[in-house]
Amino acid sequence: MKRLGSFFQTYGVVVALVVLIAVAAIVEGGTFLSAINLRNIVNQNAAVGIIAVGMTLVIMTGGIDLSVGSAVALSAAVGIKVLNGQIAGGTAETTAVAMALAVIVVIGVAIGALNGALITLGRVAPFIATLGGLVAFRSLAKVVSEGGQITAQGSTFERLGQTGIPIPGTSTPAGNPVEITWGIGLFVLVALAFGFVLRRTAYGRHAVAVGANEKAALYSGINPQRVRMWAYVLMGLCVGLASVVQGMRFGAVAPQQTGIFYELYAIAAVVIGGTSLSGGKGRVWGTVVGVMILAVITNLLILMNVPSEWQDFVQGVIILVAVLIQRGQGQRP
Amino acid sequence: MPRLEVRDVTMQFPAVRALDGVSLSFELGEVHGVVGENGAGKSTLMRILSGLQRPTSGQVLVDGSVVELHGVRHALSLGIAMIHQELDVIDDLTVAENVFLGSEPKRFGLVDRKAMNERTAELLRRVGAAFPPQTSVASLSIAGKQLVEIAKALSHEARALIMDEPTAVLSERETESLFRLIGELRAQGVTVIYISHRLAEVEQLCDRVTVLRDGALVCTVDRGALSLAEMADRMVGRTLGDMFPPKGEPQTTGVTLRASGAKVEGWVKDATVEVRAGEVVGIAGLVGSGRTELCEAIVGLRRLSEGTVTLGGDRAMFSSPGQAMRQGVAYVSEDRKGAGLVMEMNCFENASLPSLRTIARPLVDRGAERAMFEKWRTKLDVRVGDPKAPVLYLSGGNQQKIAIAKWLETAPRVLILDEPTRGVDVGAKREIYALVRQLANEGLACIVVSSELTEIVGLCDRVFVMREGRTVGELVGSAVTEEGIMALAAGVGAA
Repeated sequence: MKRLGSFFQTYGVVVALVVLIAVAAIVEGGTFLSAINLRNIVNQNAAVGIIAVGMTLVIMTGGIDLSVGSAVALSAAVGIKVLNGQIAGGTAETTAVAMALAVIVVIGVAIGALNGALITLGRVAPFIATLGGLVAFRSLAKVVSEGGQITAQGSTFERLGQTGIPIPGTSTPAGNPVEITWGIGLFVLVALAFGFVLRRTAYGRHAVAVGANEKAALYSGINPQRVRMWAYVLMGLCVGLASVVQGMRFGAVAPQQTGIFYELYAIAAVVIGGTSLSGGKGRVWGTVVGVMILAVITNLLILMNVPSEWQDFVQGVIILVAVLIQRGQGQRP
Repeated sequence: MPRLEVRDVTMQFPAVRALDGVSLSFELGEVHGVVGENGAGKSTLMRILSGLQRPTSGQVLVDGSVVELHGVRHALSLGIAMIHQELDVIDDLTVAENVFLGSEPKRFGLVDRKAMNERTAELLRRVGAAFPPQTSVASLSIAGKQLVEIAKALSHEARALIMDEPTAVLSERETESLFRLIGELRAQGVTVIYISHRLAEVEQLCDRVTVLRDGALVCTVDRGALSLAEMADRMVGRTLGDMFPPKGEPQTTGVTLRASGAKVEGWVKDATVEVRAGEVVGIAGLVGSGRTELCEAIVGLRRLSEGTVTLGGDRAMFSSPGQAMRQGVAYVSEDRKGAGLVMEMNCFENASLPSLRTIARPLVDRGAERAMFEKWRTKLDVRVGDPKAPVLYLSGGNQQKIAIAKWLETAPRVLILDEPTRGVDVGAKREIYALVRQLANEGLACIVVSSELTEIVGLCDRVFVMREGRTVGELVGSAVTEEGIMALAAGVGAA
């Protein structure tokens, strides 16, 4: 009985995901389980997933980053602007795309470094520092796109978001094999890399120590400010990569919508996945499962034709329930 | 009729039987000491008496009638109050607000501040506190906060007061005034149950003493029936022998670490200490004399506004413990739970934390990490069941050994130990003393900061005494005596 309890404490989220998939398979059988639908579920959530992985690290060190959604909009807007400018100026399309991707990632990292500097050097509380970014970066994204939507010129950029590695034996309604997009590949890669860094490297351990007890970490010869700074820079890298995935998938940026609420979805996935909001305890695989739980619920609601006005309400309730269950677990000694 | 009594109380936890058929009574107006090693069952017994926990079997009697305590509030309503070691006061509130927290006097449904402050003032007079009810608790010393807790207990008409290691954080002077207060409470008929590691204190204060070991009652004796050594033997269940290892030869090698003319804003005015390889140097002084702050400044946790630190003759002004560590200076904090260890981490992770980079290439070599802990586990005799469980669940003594081991792993030249035996039981204390001496004999330069004079006198070859932020004297060899240190620390007699 006790062993069963500790099993659920650790793997409860996996059980929840499996149950959810089983329910979806029963309710919407053929449609839900089709290869193209499953691919789409992951593909649509790859960007949020990459951000959630980075958010796991930030939350583990006792911080938070609310600016990620706006940062995605800003970096993607600047990136596509660069792409269009280069193409208009006669640069070869592949070169222009490469430059745009590099710019997007660099902006993401720079935003992360800015957040980190505000929090470590400026000693601003993470919630406040990144709340400023949440508002300011979205405003900048609107300035860059002059209020409207910017669409990427040429076909290379958008094609990158639609293609990937074909899965043998599958087929879309149009008759082509279903492809695992590069975006999905990037999500998997980032999750594996972060999982490894957090579990197996000295930096990962230091991050846990800083989140659990910053004073003890400092007294143990660790530099907590440096650990935090790197957490935000790596978060910024994730934002950049997510922005690439997001930009490529739509081939356009609409600063009113791009990345909206991503910070909330990411934080929710992290919490559902079993990472403690008070820091010192976190797991990347849990976050990935958390992302998939939210993704499957959204998909199921769409397949069941639940009015879109109600979808966010259901998501909200699910997040609350997950947090309540987690809190109950935390209180058990 | 006893004020408070337990009959055949047993407390069974999943893994351990914390109390095993204990029967014990606490009389009206007595000060009753309860002693025992960590894990002896003292805390469990007190938790049961204060309503925090229900026993698996057995009875609790208040004023002769059997009661089932369901919660702290219920116990309080019966006049039983507990003063925890980690004080429960809320810093952001005033003294009066703390005293009447949850039972504020009301007038027309609103808090009656005037009545609250008046009644608090009276309670503060009773406990001998010099501050007014409107004082913010954050501005009080630990001793002051303790008085607030006692006043709070008295506001509930407490007739049995359980105190858990109340002097652990008090200076000698504050301890004396606490003892006076306990004496007055006894005269008013209040039963005081006094838990402590410090046998000398228990002997001085208590009318009767109960010894617990491994959850069972060993004996209850009147004051003076047992010598301190006999009491210690009963606590550990074997003869302890000498607490302290023999001292070392005087060292003539060059000074390893020296801090001179050190000044830390607000704490240390002018301090000079030094230590040679192979010796144990003590820093004594009352709480608040700047001992800890001086050590923290040496390893870069605080800024030295004046003065210099040298290591092996070279200037060594560290800006962080990490930098100090790389130069071979290690500091084991007095605050084991808050700064010494990461309580949520396990033995392996804590032991390797400062030296993790040496076994990360770039992935942490888990085999090497285990070997690291196992080496110290054997050498320091760390007793743990499962090293993968959080260190939170270990006894104070074993925690302290890990806090020392993690620094020994960095192969320091200088080891600074701040209150190395606070919250550690007698058996482990003796082992830590032996370890410090052994390390010194192996050539380490050791500094021990302590409020326990017996510890300083028993362990140290040389002692620097601090008073109000200044080093006021240095005692060497046979001049290291409790009287000599007290005279310097309190500022009486010739320095």
